[in-house]
Amino acid sequence: MTQDDISDLLVRLTAQDRAALRALYTRAAPKLTGILIRMLGERAEAEDALQEVFLRIWQRAATFDPDKGNGMNWICAIARNHALDRLRTRPARRGVTLAPADETLQVADPGMGAEAQTLLRAQMQEVIRCFDELPEDRAAAVRGAYLEGLSYKDLADKFDVPLNTMRTWLRRAIMSLRECLDR
Amino acid sequence: MSKPTSPPPSPENDDLLAAEFVLGLLEGDDWRAARDRAATDGAFAARVQAWEERLAPLNAEFDEAPAPDMLPQIETLLFGKPRRRSSLREWFLGLAVGTVSAVVLLLAVFVTQPPVSPTPPSLVAQVVDETRGLSLSVAYFATTETLDLQLTGPTPEAGQDYELWVIDDSGTPRSLGVLTEDVKQLEAALLAGEVLAISLEPEGGSPEPVPTGPVLGTAVLEAG
Repeated sequence: MTQDDISDLLVRLTAQDRAALRALYTRAAPKLTGILIRMLGERAEAEDALQEVFLRIWQRAATFDPDKGNGMNWICAIARNHALDRLRTRPARRGVTLAPADETLQVADPGMGAEAQTLLRAQMQEVIRCFDELPEDRAAAVRGAYLEGLSYKDLADKFDVPLNTMRTWLRRAIMSLRECLDR
Repeated sequence: MSKPTSPPPSPENDDLLAAEFVLGLLEGDDWRAARDRAATDGAFAARVQAWEERLAPLNAEFDEAPAPDMLPQIETLLFGKPRRRSSLREWFLGLAVGTVSAVVLLLAVFVTQPPVSPTPPSLVAQVVDETRGLSLSVAYFATTETLDLQLTGPTPEAGQDYELWVIDDSGTPRSLGVLTEDVKQLEAALLAGEVLAISLEPEGGSPEPVPTGPVLGTAVLEAG
């Protein structure tokens, strides 16, 4: 396996390789389950969603371009998108909970090679530095959106500010993040 | 669309919208519009992908969780039911040890077979335009490459027609035909994850290979 073993498996899926699907499930299902539970808040729904995420991965594998992106990022994006699809089409609003910010960002992925770990750690440092440049509450709001699937409205309620204020905060935060990350 | 909450289109605002979409900040019509745009507009999809890569280091904050074994269900949905070789073998083993004549037992096996049930659709989608009260149910059968359609709602004004499109992952629309209540079936090869869209076109359908009129509704084809 190369440093991005998920990319290799995704490429094999396009050749209808069922063994690659099984290997991908073993390798990636725990991470995707973690994403779905955190965003959807319920284990039962997360398990149902996991099935659909794997169907989407199989069906869309041909659109994955290993030259343009990392395989793990690609499948995580599919899982997050599917979770957001479910959150945004839920009939009733769920209660908003925002997990406390971790003291340190974790970089633990046992399936990864040392070289990939080093690269990921460097990218993480970059993101941490850019988040550190944001006002603390805005950094927490951006993380809440990404990790918990909170919308502008959820965040406005959570931080007890008017919706338009939250929108203005986050649009500024997005622009400074981009400026910092692309620096 | 409800009240506009997104700034007017410009490269800068498109990029902001892509970030809002990736972060998951949007809701309702804004969310649906951005999702459909990401599926149909290549330039916007590229902005979305750039933001996914920028923010991907945050994925390390999602802890792994014990995963249920959903592989059998996933494989059944993707590849169909596994063949029942083993249970057939059990039948023949039963025959060998049975005292009743093999012929009688075999007959019993055939007689007690349940009737063949209708094939379930491979994919389904429901395209809805709430403002018009228009709804199209689509059931797609991969083995015959046919779509069963059921359209309900108002007929378009004189001189206009509804047209059905499929949009693949590259964002290219392809016409499946003009829709009327009389059209109950169309032939096409479709894939899960592709987007169906209904547009309002001049009578007889779009004069161009792409929709020229407003898109009334979209839906993603999903496993039935």
